[in-house]
Amino acid sequence: MKNQWIEFFYGRVTVKVSGKGTERFLNVLTRNGLLIWNVKRHGTETITFKMRLMDAKNIRHYARKSDCTISFLRRSGVPFLLKRAIKNSGFLGGAGIFLLILMFLSNVIWGIEIKGAKPATEYQIRKELDKMGVQIGKLQFFVDNVEGIQRKLTNNIGELTWVGVELKGTTFHLQVVEKNEPQKPKQLSPRNLIAKKKAIIVNMYIENGQKVVDINDHVEPGQLLVSGAIGQEGTPELVAAKGEVWGETWYKSHVELPLVTNFKVFSGKEKEKHFILLGNYELPVWGFGKPEFSNYETEENVHKIHFLKWELPISYLNKTLREREEVQRTYSNKDAQQIAIELAKKQIKGRIDEDAIIKDEKILHKAIKNGKVILDIHFKVIENIAVGQPISKETSE
Amino acid sequence: MAKKWAGRVRNWMAKKMDLPEDVMMDLPRITMIGQIHVYIENHRGLLVFTDRELRLLLKQGQLLIKGKSFVIKTILPEEILLEGKIDQVIYINDNPGGEK
Repeated sequence: MKNQWIEFFYGRVTVKVSGKGTERFLNVLTRNGLLIWNVKRHGTETITFKMRLMDAKNIRHYARKSDCTISFLRRSGVPFLLKRAIKNSGFLGGAGIFLLILMFLSNVIWGIEIKGAKPATEYQIRKELDKMGVQIGKLQFFVDNVEGIQRKLTNNIGELTWVGVELKGTTFHLQVVEKNEPQKPKQLSPRNLIAKKKAIIVNMYIENGQKVVDINDHVEPGQLLVSGAIGQEGTPELVAAKGEVWGETWYKSHVELPLVTNFKVFSGKEKEKHFILLGNYELPVWGFGKPEFSNYETEENVHKIHFLKWELPISYLNKTLREREEVQRTYSNKDAQQIAIELAKKQIKGRIDEDAIIKDEKILHKAIKNGKVILDIHFKVIENIAVGQPISKETSE
Repeated sequence: MAKKWAGRVRNWMAKKMDLPEDVMMDLPRITMIGQIHVYIENHRGLLVFTDRELRLLLKQGQLLIKGKSFVIKTILPEEILLEGKIDQVIYINDNPGGEK
């Protein structure tokens, strides 16, 4: 028996034969090796049967010799299906293009929402995002990943303490926490100004209040500098003393600096590798082979492809291998001392107010021990030493 | 006469050597499955085919199958598979000279 499926693949036709001697015609066909099945009679002079498409091409040759007329009724099987598919390829193409467009649009940034930022900061964030290429209408594919955006934003905008970047579908959600500059409490209540540190007063600038000490006075911490009680003796008027008292204060700093330090730095040599991620499998696309350097760090960057709200299991992976070099830094004794002083200055600056000035430094003790420079430095700093202290009613009376 | 002798020898050999007769003597082998299928091997061509009747040429005589709603499921040079409701299978022997 014939195999139905093979006939299906090769294609089959239904043939109608009419005329006298249809039986003879069938005999001729079978004897010539043509496969025929499903022979049915319709009326006295007509039969229909099915045959293979490739046999149907030869049938006219035999039909000419007999006095039958033949016509083809139905065609079925893969060749005809293909023909129809090509004819209707517009539909198929349309469906394909639709999916492609949908996929393309799913990968476009459609919105950037910024929450928790003041308008000024928001404007700044938007400007920064524009610089990075994060704009409405841009492809997500060519934009940094979320961590990168987050890092850049926090680095480049000073007002931000923290920014959380989240990509939900096609919208970037930015949750912003701004640095809140501590507001100076309004000190309207009567107060004195007292010294917060031991100092020698260098300069005074008093807006309000009665000064008690003078320039070049030595003050101890807690000592009254400016009194809030003004007016005649006996009937003092209590006001909030206001002003700046600049005093020379002293700091000691202890620094240790190793003469020889090992650093890890990037040499600038790098190799890029491109992959297509299929699930967990990394299919290399470009950049084969091992890098010519052995000591390196790898940075991975994954660009995901979205379809509607889903992430496709296919994504693009970019690896950058950067060569790492160990560098030894050696200071001479003189250099080391200089740098140690700078280091100490930085330390001090962290401890004092921003408007304070380092006036002078003096090395008290210097030693080189165990490959380290050890310095004790004495700093003279001029800073505002005045601190408000509220006057309680009990003490004033 | 010679043909008859040959036929006799074949018949004898088939009987004595226990060979299947359809091979030795060019007889048709007819397999029927109930009333619905007839499978005929070793025929010599189609003579008449309607939905009530099928007439096949054999080496000797003809085979007539009668029934209802006949469809030839497969036809090969020497085989035929007929489907339908079969009522009668008749051998027609009256015209021994019908052979070409």
